[in-house]
Amino acid sequence: MTQLDHTSHEITSGEIRAHLRERSAATLRRRMLVSKIMTVLCWAAIVAAAVPLIALLIRLFEKGTPVLFKSGFFTQLPQQPTLFDQTNTGGVSNAIVGTIAMIVYATLASVPIGVIVGVYTAESESKFAAAIRVVASTMVGAPSILMGLFAFGVIVVQLKLGFSILAGSFALSVLMLPVLISSTEIAVRNVPTTLREAGLALGAKPSTTSLRIVLPAATTGIVTGAILAISRAVGETAPILLVIGGAYAVTWKPGDPGSALSVSMYQDVGQAYDSLKDQAWGIGLLLVLVIFVLSFAARIWAARKQKVQR
Amino acid sequence: MVATANSSQTAAGAEGRSPSASARGAYEWILLVVAGLFGIVSIWFVGTIIWQSASTFKSQGLYLLTGANWVPGAGTGLPSQYGGRAMIFGTIETSLIAMVIAVVIGTGTSLAINFFVPQKMKTFVATVVELLAAVPSVVYGVWGMLVLAPWFMNTVGPFLSSIPGGTAVLGTTVAGKSLLLAGLVLAVMVLPTYVAISREVIGAVPHELVEASLSLGATRWQTLWKTVLPTARIGLFGASSLALGRAIGETVAVSLVCGGVVGTTFKPLEPGVTIAGWIATQWGEAVGSDQIGALFALGAILMVVSLAMSVFSRRLVARQRRAAAVV
Repeated sequence: MTQLDHTSHEITSGEIRAHLRERSAATLRRRMLVSKIMTVLCWAAIVAAAVPLIALLIRLFEKGTPVLFKSGFFTQLPQQPTLFDQTNTGGVSNAIVGTIAMIVYATLASVPIGVIVGVYTAESESKFAAAIRVVASTMVGAPSILMGLFAFGVIVVQLKLGFSILAGSFALSVLMLPVLISSTEIAVRNVPTTLREAGLALGAKPSTTSLRIVLPAATTGIVTGAILAISRAVGETAPILLVIGGAYAVTWKPGDPGSALSVSMYQDVGQAYDSLKDQAWGIGLLLVLVIFVLSFAARIWAARKQKVQR
Repeated sequence: MVATANSSQTAAGAEGRSPSASARGAYEWILLVVAGLFGIVSIWFVGTIIWQSASTFKSQGLYLLTGANWVPGAGTGLPSQYGGRAMIFGTIETSLIAMVIAVVIGTGTSLAINFFVPQKMKTFVATVVELLAAVPSVVYGVWGMLVLAPWFMNTVGPFLSSIPGGTAVLGTTVAGKSLLLAGLVLAVMVLPTYVAISREVIGAVPHELVEASLSLGATRWQTLWKTVLPTARIGLFGASSLALGRAIGETVAVSLVCGGVVGTTFKPLEPGVTIAGWIATQWGEAVGSDQIGALFALGAILMVVSLAMSVFSRRLVARQRRAAAVV
């Protein structure tokens, strides 16, 4: 060893080691620096994401809360402000009733069909079921305005039923269907196979097993999916904007032209009067509150049910 | 993803009840018939939109894709001109702006939520993100119009125009409403959607991988960049294609902030239009004229794009899964 150290004058192994140590120390310093910078940037990303969203919520509550407490917001029909009475906006009773009516009709139409199709795609392995699955997941991602065009083509053009609450409900139910199918399918598939096998082993018919054992076990998932589909439909604007016609009257009748909260909000914000723009904030806050309550309900319900099952 | 993960399990279950396949009872028939009904509705859906736009495809031909003018001929005695170039460019431009912003900030946010945010706050942040994803798009639109547009007009627009060459590339803004603002509003809107999924996808990366990488001496960022993100890429791709679908099809939020001008230059700071936004804003006056067919034709373009994206992302995900399975 000593001899070797004496003979190799140009580069000793110690020098190599020192050089390597220095180099690795340099890369380590560089790597740590990059890592620190990127960590800071990740934090910056979370701030950049949060700031606009929080600003939006603050503005919504700040501008919307006084509108919600205005007398007659829930009970009066909308009024057109004039130059002499610029704050005379009235309420949104027609839009509230219109939205509730459309949601109810759309839910009644789409939930049974969606759940049945979802159960079918979960239980069948046929080519047809696979095709339905693909169609449903494609429709989930389809732009919602296409549902409006479809509703116009079917209800207004083909069936000649006119711009109506019915047409709006039709658009919403087509929008909700694929969501319901997918969520039901996932809920049914998440039921342990052992449950189904136990039913079959006891001699129950496959249909009895599905209806009496698998479906009850999947109820939580199905209901949660339905609530989330409804909360998506509540705020949807584009499809119903095309087909409900708009009405300054409170009506539940499917055949009448109707109004909706989201559509009123969209129309109010384009008006010249500041009071109507404020009204839009109020409607927005109402929509957001309803949707938050719905999603919280779905969440809490799902969590509680899970606890009970354990 | 959950569905596919479990499909093998159910396939095993299906073998167990194969006798039922030969003898269908009332239950099986009801399922099949209702599913068939849904199939018919979906075909009807596509058929209606194509059928309603057929006359416009015939009269406009390629002009629908490349034409710069949108001039209804009703009442003027001249033939209608329905060119969709401004709408198509506007849609591409706004979606692109939105996606670049949302994917960069969203991925950083998801990494931060999973690796930097204290454990106790994670559930809170996740809940907030998912609630924000449920906020209706019209609310984002109203916020963009009443809050962001004035800010754009007074502060952001003049600043960007004052940068040397800024006006040449970006144009100048007059009222704040512009394609760039529409892209920004879309970015804010799709961010919660993207983060809600990418957060879960990144959270699902096995902890052993992270620990292995760290134990080999990789820094925190090297671990995230070279181990976590590549492992999560299929899911991240799914999240971004969902966000892109939302951005392309968004109607009311965009129509409130894009300015609504059929332009020819497509500079980001100048007003423009998008396909979906244009359908909504023109609808009122279009009903009863041949313009309705033209709007349906725009809708058909949107439908084809959304369909193509869905097929493309499905194939890509399937291929990457296969590749991942081989490795």
